[in-house]
Amino acid sequence: MDEHFRAFSFVNRITSVSIGQQVRGKYQIPPDLIDFPLSLVGEAVGQLAAWSAIAAVNFERRPVAGIAAKIELLNSICPGDELELAADLESVDAEAVSYGGVATVRGAPVLRLEHCVGPMVPLEEFDDPHALRSRFAFLRDSGTNENAFKGVPSVLPQRIAGETGKWIRATIQVPECAPFFADHFPRRPVFPGTLLMHVNLHLAAALAAELAGNTPPVPVVRSVKDVKLRTFIPPGELLESEARLIESDSESPVISLETRKGKRLIGTARVCLAPQKKS
Amino acid sequence: MSNVTITKEEITAVFPKVAETMADALGSDQEEVKLDSSLINDLGAESIDFLDIVFRLERAFKVKIPRGKIIEDARGDLSEADFEKGGVVTDAGFQRLKAFLNEVPADRFKAPLKVADIPRLFTVQTFCKIVIRQQKAGSAAVPAGNQPVGPQPA
Repeated sequence: MDEHFRAFSFVNRITSVSIGQQVRGKYQIPPDLIDFPLSLVGEAVGQLAAWSAIAAVNFERRPVAGIAAKIELLNSICPGDELELAADLESVDAEAVSYGGVATVRGAPVLRLEHCVGPMVPLEEFDDPHALRSRFAFLRDSGTNENAFKGVPSVLPQRIAGETGKWIRATIQVPECAPFFADHFPRRPVFPGTLLMHVNLHLAAALAAELAGNTPPVPVVRSVKDVKLRTFIPPGELLESEARLIESDSESPVISLETRKGKRLIGTARVCLAPQKKS
Repeated sequence: MSNVTITKEEITAVFPKVAETMADALGSDQEEVKLDSSLINDLGAESIDFLDIVFRLERAFKVKIPRGKIIEDARGDLSEADFEKGGVVTDAGFQRLKAFLNEVPADRFKAPLKVADIPRLFTVQTFCKIVIRQQKAGSAAVPAGNQPVGPQPA
């Protein structure tokens, strides 16, 4: 089956768009999934912004993951939920798009992106410009109700070293093959930055659990700041990530994340933890 | 705006915030960010860092910094064809660049200079100057499709 616009696409319909300025859309999380991580909600908002940016430069360039100043994880979601997506572009040109956005479910915000920057790359190196133009028209017109997304293969960090409650180092094996590579991107498969973030949040959660020790509850991730992805990650790469506690004085510890391929720094972020909300 | 006079006092005034912004973007200590530090050679900046720095400076100083502004200002009234040929800076362009980036030590200018390598010359002071120019210009709008301020993304 052709996985283009299926295996890693998270906009079902574009409900309104002011090209290069703001765009609104929807995504129905397939109800038969076991879970849908919040990092993929971030991907959905980013993809919505990308549609507006691509249209603004006449389908000649497209943004890729780069920088997010702040990602707030505000509420949990469930398979079957419909995401209302909104993105506001601060600027877009041939070099970069900057934007912010939010995803809501039944009026409640679940994830907010602030000051994101996506470097613009030549579109035809990554995808078929005609196919994208047609898809954009389709999403603006009828859109789709198909639950095409079937989940992503489990990629978990494998701990190789650490010091309890202080730092953890782990390897991350990027799959050689996965359906999402056919969609991200058809002409140049790249491991999505949001999936790297998802894997790294597992590592941060493991460190958070160690921090809590025998005195639960375990603090949870409330926001991720200064996310920066420095290079493309091709299929099959073996990466190494390190989560390190850098602030522990307050109720809101901060963990730094660094991902490397050999000595080359690939990605960085800071994870802000907070006590679990009382239900 | 390429002929705007910029004083040492003006540079001194904006430097602390520029240094703080750059340190945040590069994940380095602010003490490491000196006025004459080369962004690429001394601070290890990559293409994505140039984008990060520019957008952070825009927010910190509430100015717009059009992509390609440094090279555009350096070129002045030289046409693109007079400034570079086949991706290499012409003699006239080279002299213009040396005069415009007068904060960069002369021994860092080496001919032939590829246009793509111009960002290797940029120092922290280069960005202090562009902030001051844009403050004086009064937040001009960002035009689309200009040349990049830094190297292209990987």
